[in-house]
Amino acid sequence: MDSASIYYLGVTLLLFLIFAVIVVRTYSRKHKAKGEEPKFRMMDDDKPKKEDNSEK
Amino acid sequence: MNQQEGYADDIVKGFVIWSMVWGLVAVLVGVFISFQIAFPQLNFPPYLTYGRLRPIHTNAGIFGWGIGSFMAFFIYITQRLTRTSLWSPGLAKAQLWLFNIVIALAAVTLAMGMNRSKEYAELEWPVASLVVVLWVIFAVNIVMTIVKRREEQMYISLWYILATLVGVAVLYLVNNASIPVSLTKSYSAYAGANDANVQWWYGHNAVAMVLTTPPLAIFYYFLPKTTGVPIYSHRMGVIAFWSLIFMYLWTGAHHLLWAPVPDWVQTLAMGFSVMLIAPSWAAVFNGYFSMNGQWHQMRENYLVKFLIFGITFYGMQTLQGPSQSIRTFSAFIHFTDWVPGHVHMGTLGWVSLVLFAAIYYTIPRLYHTEIYSVGLANVHFWLVLTGQLIFSITMWIAGVQQAAMLNATNPDGSLHYSFIETMVELYPYWHMRAVGGVIYLAGLLVFLYNIYQTITGGKAQAAAQRA
Repeated sequence: MDSASIYYLGVTLLLFLIFAVIVVRTYSRKHKAKGEEPKFRMMDDDKPKKEDNSEK
Repeated sequence: MNQQEGYADDIVKGFVIWSMVWGLVAVLVGVFISFQIAFPQLNFPPYLTYGRLRPIHTNAGIFGWGIGSFMAFFIYITQRLTRTSLWSPGLAKAQLWLFNIVIALAAVTLAMGMNRSKEYAELEWPVASLVVVLWVIFAVNIVMTIVKRREEQMYISLWYILATLVGVAVLYLVNNASIPVSLTKSYSAYAGANDANVQWWYGHNAVAMVLTTPPLAIFYYFLPKTTGVPIYSHRMGVIAFWSLIFMYLWTGAHHLLWAPVPDWVQTLAMGFSVMLIAPSWAAVFNGYFSMNGQWHQMRENYLVKFLIFGITFYGMQTLQGPSQSIRTFSAFIHFTDWVPGHVHMGTLGWVSLVLFAAIYYTIPRLYHTEIYSVGLANVHFWLVLTGQLIFSITMWIAGVQQAAMLNATNPDGSLHYSFIETMVELYPYWHMRAVGGVIYLAGLLVFLYNIYQTITGGKAQAAAQRA
């Protein structure tokens, strides 16, 4: 196996690992409520928040 | 900037209106070139020939109607999902001017025959450079708005918006790398099979980052807003997003099956294309499950009809596309009329139905009025649905017949039909396609009339209140 093949294999494995981490984190029990929260918040009033009410 | 709401909505109005203008141009030219195929005597050289009008049709459709609308709704959605006003309304105004200048320049230069001859990347380098400036302005404004957001968690639409901004930038810069030899002529920086590989990496991912991720961003925002019920699963949306992003960029070479690119590249593209069914259908299921207990709205709410039929066309498209990437199927239908049938199911069905719904939803809100006529919106829906189905079904049948005839051989191995014999058999389908196009155009005119009346009604109402 030449260095290019090793590099491609490494990148593939890295991408797969990143995706696996995303899946595990998204579907972890701990993250469930937080992960679903945006779908409720986007239904709120369309008005922008006031400066002094910033929650970020 | 609309001070009453606190959002920069005037610019949204501008983008929506101009995208509808370019959408009308795209369909008018599309109908005309469909007649040119059926009746070749309608070609008027040098400017009004199929060869020059066809790229004008695709550019006006994908970039004028598509990108114009996406710019409108990205600005509209981003402000609301971040609960903050646009970072720079002034920059957005400049963006609107530049957008129209670029599309107009595209139409003129393509009609004059200035063309790089690359699918969906036809514009010569001066106009292509303006596109880069336009995209940078757009991306900076949206990204900065997201950066200063007042919502910690980002809703799924924002992920799709960010992917679009980054994806288009990378694809466009790589594929448009070229060496100018004059103001109106340049040559690709790549050659041979490499050039083809880069071109189809771009060409297919233009479908991903221009015709898939933006309508998904819009669908995920407007479906719950329209039904009044949140989407089924935000987490499923996030996983579908990341798997789509991880997979899509490897699939372009499925356009080069049986071509002199390495076999492993073709197989990789084929494999990833088939796997794409999973994230695509996750979005479809998310849409359908969101309708759980709400299916009655398909009868009662005309916007839901547009959105659900739109996502259904997306589902059909994302079954057909991966199937077409399989070598044997590709060998059968590639270079036949099956392909325009497939492409138009996506553009006339998926993308446009979702955009129609988004425009119907936003225009009354932007002009503080009601939609002029729900009845006309329903007429619009049935006309565009009928036109689209006639278009796609006739082209699928034509494609299969064409493929069967082109592949038919005599016992001695020679071709059974001459090329001209295969062409003659296609004329009835081309006539039907043109009729389908006219019906779609009629639907579009009903839509434009309805929106025009809604806007003028809103303006009249505002004037009466001021008086």
